[in-house]
Amino acid sequence: MNRRTFLRQGAALSGGLLLSGCLGQLGFETQSAWRDPPLVEDRPDAVYYPAIIEGMGMYGTTTAGDLGFALMHSFPHRFWNLTGSRKTKVVVQSDDSVHLMASVWDTETETILPVDVSVEISNSDGRVSSTNLWPMISPNMGFHYGDNIALPGEGQYDVTLQIGPLQTARTNPFDGRFTEGQSATMQFTFDTDETYNLEIRRLGDKAGTRGTVDLMDMEMVPEPVVPTKSELPGRLLHEGQSSDATILVALVDGDHRFSDSDGPFLIVSPRTPYNRVMLPRMALSATLDRGGDTITQGTLQASLDPDLGSFYGMGLDELETGDTVRLTVETPPQLARHDGYETAFLDMDPVEFTVE
Amino acid sequence: MSDERGIPRREFLKSAIAIGGTAAFSACLGREEVDVPTGPDDLSSYPQRQHAWNEVLPRDDHGNIIAPSHRVLLYLNYRRDGQPNEDDRDQVETALRGIEHAYERSGDGLLLTVSYSPAYFYRFDDSLPDDVDLPDPEALAPFEEPEFDTPDAVVHLASNTAQVVLGAEEALKGNKSTLNGVDQPDAALTDVFSLADRRTGFIGDGLPAENADDAEGVPADKVPEDAPLFMGFKSGFKKNQASEDRVTIQSGPFAGGTTQHISKLQLNLNQWYNQDDRWQREAKMFCPYHAENDVIEGAGDNLGTSSKIDDCQPTDETAREMGVVGHSQKSARARDDDDSPLILRRDFDSTDGGAASLHFLALQRRITDFVDTREAMNGTDVTEQSAVGQRNNNGILQYIRTERRGNFLVPPRSLRALPPGQPAGDAQEVTHESS
Repeated sequence: MNRRTFLRQGAALSGGLLLSGCLGQLGFETQSAWRDPPLVEDRPDAVYYPAIIEGMGMYGTTTAGDLGFALMHSFPHRFWNLTGSRKTKVVVQSDDSVHLMASVWDTETETILPVDVSVEISNSDGRVSSTNLWPMISPNMGFHYGDNIALPGEGQYDVTLQIGPLQTARTNPFDGRFTEGQSATMQFTFDTDETYNLEIRRLGDKAGTRGTVDLMDMEMVPEPVVPTKSELPGRLLHEGQSSDATILVALVDGDHRFSDSDGPFLIVSPRTPYNRVMLPRMALSATLDRGGDTITQGTLQASLDPDLGSFYGMGLDELETGDTVRLTVETPPQLARHDGYETAFLDMDPVEFTVE
Repeated sequence: MSDERGIPRREFLKSAIAIGGTAAFSACLGREEVDVPTGPDDLSSYPQRQHAWNEVLPRDDHGNIIAPSHRVLLYLNYRRDGQPNEDDRDQVETALRGIEHAYERSGDGLLLTVSYSPAYFYRFDDSLPDDVDLPDPEALAPFEEPEFDTPDAVVHLASNTAQVVLGAEEALKGNKSTLNGVDQPDAALTDVFSLADRRTGFIGDGLPAENADDAEGVPADKVPEDAPLFMGFKSGFKKNQASEDRVTIQSGPFAGGTTQHISKLQLNLNQWYNQDDRWQREAKMFCPYHAENDVIEGAGDNLGTSSKIDDCQPTDETAREMGVVGHSQKSARARDDDDSPLILRRDFDSTDGGAASLHFLALQRRITDFVDTREAMNGTDVTEQSAVGQRNNNGILQYIRTERRGNFLVPPRSLRALPPGQPAGDAQEVTHESS
């Protein structure tokens, strides 16, 4: 692509939004507009419609053992990195070529796995780049892994996606699963025509209002969502909100698969509003009060279940009508945020309710 | 080498190490205006411990050892199949003594060790004595897939003077008839060994920033100008290092030796500098307490003799409450009953292959001590009970990828030339036991 072709395409596809830095390696000038695209001014402390939604393209999927791997691409993105409740705005660097994304799932149950993904990219000249992708959440992709990557130019690349074992607990059907690392190799062709011609949707007046767009339909990749309220097992105890996250609390009793010990089991299933996107990487604890006395206090165990996806759970001796349950969020979801999610799920208030 | 004329002296010197060879050496001679004393004729006073470097290295104002700036690692394969013969041993020892006569044993002069891999020792019928813990290298985290270094031997050359490292290397290769005015023996290490790999690097205030241009993916102007390592912070604080005594093998024929683990870690400095802020870097390298309380100035020289980990909360607490644990905070958990760290770091940065990396060279009495330290650094126990990820917000694991690992035995000096697997008798007694 020569510069003139590029400029014409750039203008056509982005309507004045200048493509930029990502093309620095290809001989194009860096433009500040792309480095830090438009950001809604008055953003609510909640999930909101961003100014623009950048499209996503599929490079492909593959399987290794009983795991599925997907590799996707988009424009280099701005995102916010999160450590605790502290976020850092990450702007696109002048040599970033592509926003590379990956998802990993169990092919038997179509359960998305919250396992850190690293990528190593090489071409005929040898290794080009390697990085440990960030766990992320975006309006149209939901939970995924991604990072902005600098490539030396257009062309074909080999990529190895590597994961370690699942760090959370798992319920009985997953006993002994995801205990070892796995890697998968794929190829992709970086074509600026393809990546930089992905759709950019401007959301106009909606931008900055509460809400979000639908998740993209990715035929070959399971959606990173958790079950609806009615699909939760046991008895629904409460539907709470905290920093715009929906937090469903259910209790299972009798015979169940969630713990080895007898007794009721508390299930906490946080999710994004609107789309039910899973929210892994939280630290939650629970306090149980009865008649003014605290009778149980403890941490909720992050866990993975084929039906519930990512959830947090805790075994209880008993739970009675009138008991007060207080859920404290010690760490909000440690996921890098794309526009639209960077003001939500941060300073999360406790969720408290009385058992009816 | 005429095209180097425009390069500032110091910048040239570090590049010269990476390039190597007689031409680089000659060019160094003209640029480094130093006069390195020659070594003694009689080397019998040299310590049995090859790794006894600390006594001859300079210290900073706080008493921390200043690591030698310029490094070369020569990975070598013994040319002969089967067991070594005495002629080869003589040749190796003679070549090593040649460079020791040429340069004094000091920070500005030459420091060196010769070490041998488990693969080397497989040629002997007898396995290594029980006093030596030297397993084959293995992956040390569930999320890494390193390649393993199995050459027979590694020679580690170190000096604050670039020409010393280069000159010693060239002499070992038989390319110098005189070195620093000292006649070199007609014995080359490379007659006995073939060169399998050559790794180079640097450590010291300002060197990473000066070397940043030699590597892809190092953000321009982000590596602090005074930092001794690419990641911007000082390491090797006195109280965070095991003593040479602590890492020395205490009994058996290899008493006085030590074990050495060398890994090659690729660094993602783009994420570190462009995607994290200073608070995050401090929290992840040290601990959240340090970041919250502005404990660290610049590269951290103000910390004195330790990374002040006692001020940090326990790892499980910060993991739950802050969502992050620091690298030093995790690693400090690997200590013995006397509260000593288990490993002695002698690591250095590199731009080998045009990528920013760290040759993490560590000495410890047993390889197990390294494995335990790395396990503490993995923080797997922390991730299971918190929102801290396998790598994300888990010390500096997000930014490093382990590419290679290798284990080696650094025998005592008397056994440094092609040692047998079961040497007869005990080596010289280790006199200053500390533990």
